[in-house]
Amino acid sequence: MSQAELDKLIRSNYEAGFTTQVDTETLPPGLSEDVIRFLSAKKGEPEWMLEWRLDSYRKWQEMPSPSWAHLKHPPIDFNEVSYYSKPKSLDDAPKSLDEVDPELLATYEKLGIPLHEQEMLAGVAVDVVFDSSSVFTTFKEKLAEAGVIFCSISEAIKEHPELVKKYLGSVVPQGDNFYAALNSAVFSDGSFVYIPKGVRCPMELSTYFRINEANTGQFERTLIIADEGSYVSYLEGCTAPQRDENQLHAAVVELVALPGAEIKYSTVQNWYPGDENGKGGIYNFVTKRGVAHDNSKISWTQVETGSAITWKYPSVILRGDNSIGEFYSVALTRHMQQADTGTKMIHLGKNTKSTIISKGISASRSQNAYRGLVRISPRADNARNFTQCDSLLLGDQCGAHTFPYIESKNPTATIEHEATTSKVSDDQMFLCRQRGIDPEKAVSMIVNGFCKEVFKELPMEFAVEAGKLLEVSLEGAVG
Amino acid sequence: MTVSANELALELKTQALANARRNGSEGVVLDALEGASFPQRKSERWKYTSLQALADGHLNGVAAGDIAQPLPALSECVVSITNGALTGSTLPDGVSLHHESPEVNGLETPFALYNSAVARAVVLEVAANTRVAQPIHVQIQSASDAPAHCNPRVIVKLNTGAEATVIEHYHAEGQALTNAVTALITADNAKLTHYRLQGEHASTLHIGTLVIDQQGVSTVDSYQLMTGNRLRRNDVHALVNKSGAELNMKGIFVVRNKGHVDNQMCVEHAVPNCESDQNFKGLAGESGKAVFNGRIHIHPGASGTNAELSNKNLLLNAGAEINTKPELEIYNDDVKCAHGTTVGQLDAMQQFYLQSRGIAAAEAKRMLSLGFVNELLMALPHEKVAEWATPWLEAELTQASPAGADAA
Repeated sequence: MSQAELDKLIRSNYEAGFTTQVDTETLPPGLSEDVIRFLSAKKGEPEWMLEWRLDSYRKWQEMPSPSWAHLKHPPIDFNEVSYYSKPKSLDDAPKSLDEVDPELLATYEKLGIPLHEQEMLAGVAVDVVFDSSSVFTTFKEKLAEAGVIFCSISEAIKEHPELVKKYLGSVVPQGDNFYAALNSAVFSDGSFVYIPKGVRCPMELSTYFRINEANTGQFERTLIIADEGSYVSYLEGCTAPQRDENQLHAAVVELVALPGAEIKYSTVQNWYPGDENGKGGIYNFVTKRGVAHDNSKISWTQVETGSAITWKYPSVILRGDNSIGEFYSVALTRHMQQADTGTKMIHLGKNTKSTIISKGISASRSQNAYRGLVRISPRADNARNFTQCDSLLLGDQCGAHTFPYIESKNPTATIEHEATTSKVSDDQMFLCRQRGIDPEKAVSMIVNGFCKEVFKELPMEFAVEAGKLLEVSLEGAVG
Repeated sequence: MTVSANELALELKTQALANARRNGSEGVVLDALEGASFPQRKSERWKYTSLQALADGHLNGVAAGDIAQPLPALSECVVSITNGALTGSTLPDGVSLHHESPEVNGLETPFALYNSAVARAVVLEVAANTRVAQPIHVQIQSASDAPAHCNPRVIVKLNTGAEATVIEHYHAEGQALTNAVTALITADNAKLTHYRLQGEHASTLHIGTLVIDQQGVSTVDSYQLMTGNRLRRNDVHALVNKSGAELNMKGIFVVRNKGHVDNQMCVEHAVPNCESDQNFKGLAGESGKAVFNGRIHIHPGASGTNAELSNKNLLLNAGAEINTKPELEIYNDDVKCAHGTTVGQLDAMQQFYLQSRGIAAAEAKRMLSLGFVNELLMALPHEKVAEWATPWLEAELTQASPAGADAA
């Protein structure tokens, strides 16, 4: 599409006083087909992509917003959200770390984050210049050598349309649910990973290493394809709290594990949770799902400490025989945070196995719910599931809830589910304090022990940081 | 006749309201029924249970048939309720029967509200500080050749210090729908042993609510045994409402041959220092479908609560289905709550062992199935009930795993 055509398209669709806005490259709040056309044109997307988005938008309009979760929030006005804004201009951002909220800096300090990373996370307007021997460049070279494609999804739409066309929406269809449909219509950017047949990805992939494209915004879309016999470990997010003004986040992550492949997906989510009175904070509505073909394995690990509202169910469709699905989760809520999170394991193939370990910790006045589904279809012979969801309550004003759906239609399947609820026991506290450990440190030690089963699934450096993160999050939460 | 769930919901409501008006209901109960929303396709609590069977017009007619095979008496004290109306009673000393129903808390389903609007309650009141040795066998029977319904309503009230055993026993024939409400209300120091035996014919329907309202520091032991029929839905709502109260529920459900059982348990702890324990076992064979939703709700003030739930299930054949959901909703940190659920199958090694001893595959399967529920059968405190229940469940199990059906 030539520039002239593009301009024409933009202008023709924004007759209603829209053209002036185009110059500033930030759309006024509101969602319509025109907004989507603008967005798609701005990104220089091919026609099929635009059609796909519009199709999703039409589906979204017909859908009611879900109300089944154990969450309370005022209705979201989707016309108050701006669906395209130019990455923050350097003028608006803080000039140096001196201008950044000292509380945020104190947290970075405790987490032991290097200075230049701190600047990046706090959104300081510095040009991140990597010298030619930087980690970043070395990474790119190494990945290219192995044949791994790791780029932004916008880039993939242009460079690898055949892969995107084949797999985008194949796991989470456009009309899957309300927020997935919204994401499909307006997704801004995200990551794309393709691991060729038989390749073991030489390093852990992380959004952090796509630093130049990090500002992917509120409607992120990730697509990871692991071809036959390949392996990849992907890290999403960062243990440090992220400065983010967006209220609403609706991301979609799709994983495709082809026969014999293995995908390990780890997340640390630490968006702004709002203050102790529940003011502000991110609404995080995420759809994450993977399809596991024959002999493949998908493993989700998540540490959720941020967001005012978390609505997230990383799932695995165990389509192929002998496929394996895993879900390890730690969800910590405090202040007025609300989390409704869990997983779905859909067993379709024979000899499929799934494991669910969920640890929920609620403090102050927060509500923390585990919601899960284990479904064994009639032809999933010898399917096996084990689920354990434990809750820890800190304080008498919080809530911990479990809603595990178990549906079995196969007489050879074995399903086990266990849940417990407890508090930090007086005996444990007494023992720690007797040894001279102050109460806050003691609680964080006990909580860390409670989460150990999940932390050991995280890549090593991540696990250390996650432990520290819990410690920081618990500060002041224990009374 | 197939109608959409939405149309059906509307139709049921219209019929229920018309019946209630004809019955002369008015005031709060009618308002509640009018405001109730009948289950539609997407109603969460009715996710696994379709009311399509009611499209046959069960709510249009009132059951009035004769009972062909009446229940045997399990005690000298029998209260008979036939097609929703009291037809006879022999009561021990200290127990009175009247129709002045106290208000029943915790009724939620539209069917229970409908029952409230039209039923004439049978209230069994045990006088204060009376220990009734004889169990009271409440026989609730209904029959109808054409689709029709009845609304039995039984309220058992134990005054301070009373002690009693009540056997709530259902039997239905033909195409009857039993739309039952039972409430157990206990005052301080009361002790109630309760049985709920549900063995209606496969062609019948049962929609029932059981409310256990522990208004005093009391102990309630409830044993619930049921087999599947065309549609069985039990909403059990327990309100543990006074500090020191204790509730134990044990149950067995067996579904076979297109049978359906949907148990919706909800135990609410609203005050400190109470205990509840639930232990349910389920077996599903052939094309039977079993649903178990076990919810424990701990309110903010209920510190020191100890609540447990266990639900173990066996899936015997391909085509059968088990859906279970143990739920916890907890708003207090000083509690001990746990639940465990399993869905599995008979141990192949155990079957092999029995077969290697010359026991036929089907018989081995029956023995092992019975072994699975035996722990609960053995726990039944009254011999008469156990004597009646064991062969009944055994027969049901024999059919649940027919000879030769994947006897691996």
